[in-house]
Amino acid sequence: MLHLTTGRVGSLLARRMTAALTSSSARMASHGHEVAANEDLSQPMYWDSTNVPLPDRRYKVTLSSEDERLKQKEKGPWDQLSKEEKLALYRLSFSQTFSEMNQPSAEWKTVVGAMFIFLGLTGLIVWWQKVHVFPKPPRTFDDEWQAKQLQRMLDMRMNPIEGISSKWDYEKGQWK
Amino acid sequence: MAHPTQPGFQDAASPLMEELLHFHDHTLMVILMISTLVLYIMITMAMAKLTDMLVLDSQEIEIIWTILPAIVLTFIALPSLRILYLMDEVSDPHLTIKATGHQWYWSYEYSDYENLEFDSYMIPTQDLTPGQFRLLEADHRMVIPVESPIRALVSAEDVLHSWAVPALGIKVDAIPGRLNQTTFMASHPGVFFGQCSEICGANHSFMPIAIEAVPLPHFENWTSLMIEDA
Repeated sequence: MLHLTTGRVGSLLARRMTAALTSSSARMASHGHEVAANEDLSQPMYWDSTNVPLPDRRYKVTLSSEDERLKQKEKGPWDQLSKEEKLALYRLSFSQTFSEMNQPSAEWKTVVGAMFIFLGLTGLIVWWQKVHVFPKPPRTFDDEWQAKQLQRMLDMRMNPIEGISSKWDYEKGQWK
Repeated sequence: MAHPTQPGFQDAASPLMEELLHFHDHTLMVILMISTLVLYIMITMAMAKLTDMLVLDSQEIEIIWTILPAIVLTFIALPSLRILYLMDEVSDPHLTIKATGHQWYWSYEYSDYENLEFDSYMIPTQDLTPGQFRLLEADHRMVIPVESPIRALVSAEDVLHSWAVPALGIKVDAIPGRLNQTTFMASHPGVFFGQCSEICGANHSFMPIAIEAVPLPHFENWTSLMIEDA
């Protein structure tokens, strides 16, 4: 059925070689996709996490001379550090504070909004079905028939203990 | 019969069905408690801060959540078994009726004293008079005396059927070549409907059961009339 010419087989193999010998990020980047920086996972990593709060390394790896001076001052008594210095030292070691990590996002609005949109679309479909697809219900669903049916159920004392007939006051001829 | 859109069971018309209703209420409460607990746990876990994710095991809680469900299950099993054995009690029936399933109608035989046999077909929707119940009305109802234990022998002529009357707590399979027995008693007079409960072909949904429980003199009248007409 399928006639593979030598040329076609050759290009198939070439494509497989290219895929195997290049990294996926290189291929993605060359096709205009954004690619995250490749991390060397064998080196200590940094992360912001509330449940594993102390990462393997400091946030800022390369320190400016100002930062170096602060670090030296940190080796002394801490009550000699000003508030700004303490904060600067924190920001050297960590990217985010706990309150920044725990910041709620506005994602819930997207989720709830999308949910309502789909519910609405479904509702539209259901209504359209009711109008254009479903056949007419049997004549026993007519209001007059339903009323006569209910009267017959009451006359026959159906479900007289806790059901429909127990809710009807037979003496007064009305619902209890 | 069931009221349209009714959420619960029909009122019990036999003592056994009363027992089943009470059991159902009891079990539903247990289930409600369990479901509430599970819902609470789900919500708590979803909203928890993920600060302590490395808890690996705990003997104590494992023991508790094994023993506690076993106890809950006993609370469900004991009433259930009680009803099971209640159903099998011999009640010295006053009357024996044979209900035979056919495609697609029921036939009833009252052979204790005289030979009374008749077929019970559904009244088609187009033949109903206003107010009658669609798919439930039958041309000949199975009439029984009220407050008398009745033995029903259920079988089938052709394929599997099932003889069910929810208000009386009855569901008995009708199997060709086999006679299944059940006993029941109607506690109060009335008409009790049911539908065939085992798929049996094209008109499986259109072979209802209609039982009419009447005081004994009325029942005797009815049998005389039926035998005359036959």
